[in-house]
Amino acid sequence: MSVWLENAIARGQGADDWLAPKRTQALELLAKTAWPTRKTEAWRYTPLRSVERSPAKASTVAANLLPTSVADLSAIELVFVNGRFDTTQLTDDLPEGLSITLGKNLSSGQQGEALANISTIKPERHLFGLINDVLSQDVLLVSVAEGVHITQPIRISSLSSQGVESHTRVFVNLAPNSRLTVIEDTHAQGDSLTTAFVEYQIASNAYLEHYRFALQTGNNVSIGGSHFNLLDHAKMHSTLVGFGSDLTRIDTDIIHAGKFADAKLNAMYLLDGKELFDLHATVEHAMPNGTTEENVRGIVADRSRSVFNGRIHIHPDAQKTLAELNNRNLLLSDRAEINTKPELEIYADDVKCAHGATVAQIDKQALYYLQTRGVSRARAQVMLNFGFINELIDLMPNAALAEWVRPMIRERFLQMEVN
Amino acid sequence: MTEQIDKALAREYEAGFVSDVESETFEPGLNEDVIRRISVMKGEPEWMLEWRLSAFREWLEMEEPEWALVDYPKVDFQAISYYSAPKSMKDKPKSLDEVDPELLRTYEKLGIPLIEQQMLAGIAVDAVFDSVSVVTTFREKLEEAGVIFCPISEAVHKYPDLVKKYLGSVVPKKDNYYAALNCAVFTDGSFVYIPKGTRCPMELSTYFRINEQNTGQFERTLIVADEGSHVSYLEGCTAPQRDENQLHAAVVELVAMDNAEIKYSTVQNWYPGDENGKGGIYNFVTKRGICHTSAKISWTQVETGSSVTWKYPSCVLKGDNSVGEFYSVALTRGRQQADTGTKMIHLGKNTKSTIITKGISAGRSNNSYRGLVRMNPGAQGARNFTQCDSLLIGDQCGAHTFPYVESRNPSAIIEHEATTSKVSDEQMYLCRQRGLDPEKAVSMIVNGFCKEVFKELPMEFAVEAGKLLEISLEGSVG
Amino acid sequence: MSNTQSLLTIEELYASVEEKQIIKGLNLDVKPGEVHAIMGPNGAGKSTLGYVLSGRDGYSVESGSAVLDGQDLLEMETEDRARAGLFLAFQYPVEIPGVSNLEFLKASVDAQREARGEEAITSAEFLKEAKAACKQVNLPVSFLKRGVNEGFSGGEKKRNELMQMLLLKPKLCILDETDSGLDIDALQVVAEGVNSQRSADRSFIVVTHYQRLLDYIKPDFVHVLSDGKIVKSGDASLALELEAQGYAWLQKEPAEDELEG
Repeated sequence: MSVWLENAIARGQGADDWLAPKRTQALELLAKTAWPTRKTEAWRYTPLRSVERSPAKASTVAANLLPTSVADLSAIELVFVNGRFDTTQLTDDLPEGLSITLGKNLSSGQQGEALANISTIKPERHLFGLINDVLSQDVLLVSVAEGVHITQPIRISSLSSQGVESHTRVFVNLAPNSRLTVIEDTHAQGDSLTTAFVEYQIASNAYLEHYRFALQTGNNVSIGGSHFNLLDHAKMHSTLVGFGSDLTRIDTDIIHAGKFADAKLNAMYLLDGKELFDLHATVEHAMPNGTTEENVRGIVADRSRSVFNGRIHIHPDAQKTLAELNNRNLLLSDRAEINTKPELEIYADDVKCAHGATVAQIDKQALYYLQTRGVSRARAQVMLNFGFINELIDLMPNAALAEWVRPMIRERFLQMEVN
Repeated sequence: MTEQIDKALAREYEAGFVSDVESETFEPGLNEDVIRRISVMKGEPEWMLEWRLSAFREWLEMEEPEWALVDYPKVDFQAISYYSAPKSMKDKPKSLDEVDPELLRTYEKLGIPLIEQQMLAGIAVDAVFDSVSVVTTFREKLEEAGVIFCPISEAVHKYPDLVKKYLGSVVPKKDNYYAALNCAVFTDGSFVYIPKGTRCPMELSTYFRINEQNTGQFERTLIVADEGSHVSYLEGCTAPQRDENQLHAAVVELVAMDNAEIKYSTVQNWYPGDENGKGGIYNFVTKRGICHTSAKISWTQVETGSSVTWKYPSCVLKGDNSVGEFYSVALTRGRQQADTGTKMIHLGKNTKSTIITKGISAGRSNNSYRGLVRMNPGAQGARNFTQCDSLLIGDQCGAHTFPYVESRNPSAIIEHEATTSKVSDEQMYLCRQRGLDPEKAVSMIVNGFCKEVFKELPMEFAVEAGKLLEISLEGSVG
Repeated sequence: MSNTQSLLTIEELYASVEEKQIIKGLNLDVKPGEVHAIMGPNGAGKSTLGYVLSGRDGYSVESGSAVLDGQDLLEMETEDRARAGLFLAFQYPVEIPGVSNLEFLKASVDAQREARGEEAITSAEFLKEAKAACKQVNLPVSFLKRGVNEGFSGGEKKRNELMQMLLLKPKLCILDETDSGLDIDALQVVAEGVNSQRSADRSFIVVTHYQRLLDYIKPDFVHVLSDGKIVKSGDASLALELEAQGYAWLQKEPAEDELEG
């Protein structure tokens, strides 16, 4: 047991609000959880020293933080500042069929209903998910009514001040036949520690377009998860873009709880300096006829380290599943490190599943081709690195976000330490 | 269909008979005294006993690994007998004529006649029965070439310098739980030394047989191929059909010096237990080789037996330009569980490794590939290619892939691919339309699926392996 | 012939790939405005010449020299050779997914202009030029937005190479089997593009296996490359001769020389 965890457990005890039953449950689980070591499979390559050493403290001091502006996005902004939902930044002009409420403002009947759903999609095995259960102030509930298509994207921003520890928690419910776009974004100043977990219930025939950006760098710890439960014929398209920090860890869980569900996940990470980035993506096919397509790409430079675990689990009832995972990595420096582990666990025979993983350098032929056109080697490398990631950026359905993130990625490549 | 498959899979295990041989067997139990007694039985020098005891003390501090995807009741190490030898072996028969005819009959029944004239030409055999080596054939012929092929218990006496130098040099005593246990209690196994520049004139083979009840088999194999030498080695294994689980915890160490080549093939057919998962061998094995400059180690395994398999034949590619290969077919059925794969540790420049595995799952079995490819910072220009394919027969089984890929050298290239599929209706239809019965069709398709691996086996054994699969799959289609 | 007048002078060039000698004492002199065809059987080293001149990794020069416009090519980085005016149109252009054609072209043009001390071209101006170049080689403008050569057909790739040539305005163009895999219509488009670029200050080395391309791009000189060196040179009529007789008669020649010697 670590001092940090003991401290978190102690802080989580005694709160007597509507979330108390959830908290008690999480505390019980935490009491039984050992602090991860190198031998803990889920943290094999990711030491938690930076969590234990983090100077971040919970804060109640009001801070005035605003989400980053993205041209042409015009999203509905849900802003958490140091773990507290900032109601002043929420528009009072929500589209018909969309509701956004803090759990504490619900009637006790509604709270009971919410309690039955929260933490049922996020798997119990996520240590920091349990910590978030215990330490998040409240849960923000977002819900789209049946058949409603919300065209305006929702952006959930978790913003933290210097030295602050904060915990964000959201539950998103898409009723049957509805559509919604959600963007998760985290921005934290130095010495901070943020956990941000969002659960998505995607009912039959509903469609979720999802983005998660973890673009903060530097000396902070950012841990979180996006967890999706897909019912019959539900669809999701998710894009994840990550830079590293002292520690950035994201757990994605996609659960095919209904038949004929369809999930796409495109994830990319670009690491520099001494950054560490860890993505664990798990897909559970519990029901038949589901499809999953995952493309994960990483570029790792200087002294940074990447960890990827891509697990596809086909349960006995998930016949006729099609699931594919492709993970490609470029290792740019002899001091950097790539650890990748695609996994298949299959208990149904009539399925088509495959995964592939490569670790290599930039394609030498392409490099030569660019040089024969007069482009310098260094510039050609940047172009090729960018192209490698840009292929996935091009697949982002939201053009405004693609235009926003593209120059940041280009800039990062220009600054990367390559040898 | 599942019911039919299960029914059909309840086939005879052909090697399941018990030989009526009078044995001297230790009482079950494990402590330092037992280890001293083993050492006395083997007439070992003091250093060997000390080595065993230090391993035992390490083992007591260690924990049984639990990361593999296998589920079995824990082994009671005090309920196992750690030494069993036919009484007739007490006086060390000098020649084949002095060997108990019942022992010879046992091997004959298993298709391994030990009379040299009757043997497949060009294969020397070391026959290990429970805890002792019964006979090693063609020794004179091998000695002419300078090749040492003898029981490891004999090598401890005759070649102490070689044994001291290399035993535990590839798999350290405290490498893992089962390896440490093996170091403490190993009884016999084979020792091979190929001198510099020598191409071993024949295939070497060890045949392991567990016969006695409640015993474990802890064999130890050490193969040293000196500079520029070449050897091809094959091991086979069977055990009687019993209701109790028996433990087999072996350690195999290979040393390939500069430019040497070792080809190590295994056809593993330990008793797999009955259709309900009763009985069978726990096969917890550590196999590892070290390759020096430009050396090559090639592991080929066909795993059809054992109720639980935990086995990762590995290569440490230490020398520049060295090569490691792993070819595997693992077939599980009934309630068998296999967690097997390899580790390729690239240390030297321009090292290359290839991993090709074929997992076939039937019945209610679970079959996992678990592998590690690691490129260390010094592995300039290293390459790995991995292809793991799984085939599922029936909807009650599992096929899993857990590859660990770690790179710390930007010039190294790693490619890993895995697929999973089933025997398709179209393939079956085509075969049957051409007049094949479903069983033949499945075995043909499965054989085709495994072809890439079978072609790596020495020819005689490729045929054996094909037949073994055929028997194993008998009636797997309802 | 003096070097001051020549655009490219190759003297006694020996080069190897993976320790196998491919170019074995090659001499060639190209003056501004000339079109030289290099023909020869498979394996003669035709493509290797382009790779060696452009400085591809793995192609090492053992001895000899290659001077472009007074600059020692062999001492330069690949990109500097390009900036000095060397352009290689590839037989099999590589696909670079994710890098758009436009981005790639702009980067190339920018780099070359900068090297020549010219002012950078604005994006709008460049787009205009690129569109015009597309039109000239008969490629839809939408190809500018696609990944470099990504999913292009064989003909489209060749036209894309040609478009790059139009935009980069090199002094020396090496066309490496540009005719391979092209049907007659595509061949004409490519040839017209090349011909439109012929001028007094631009030279071409047209590497080809077949005479067919030379019906459309009339060479001033034809050379036969065999076993790493030029074994015969002549005017355009040599190509016709080769078409009629094949290469076998030329390949025998060195052997006969040896007999006489």
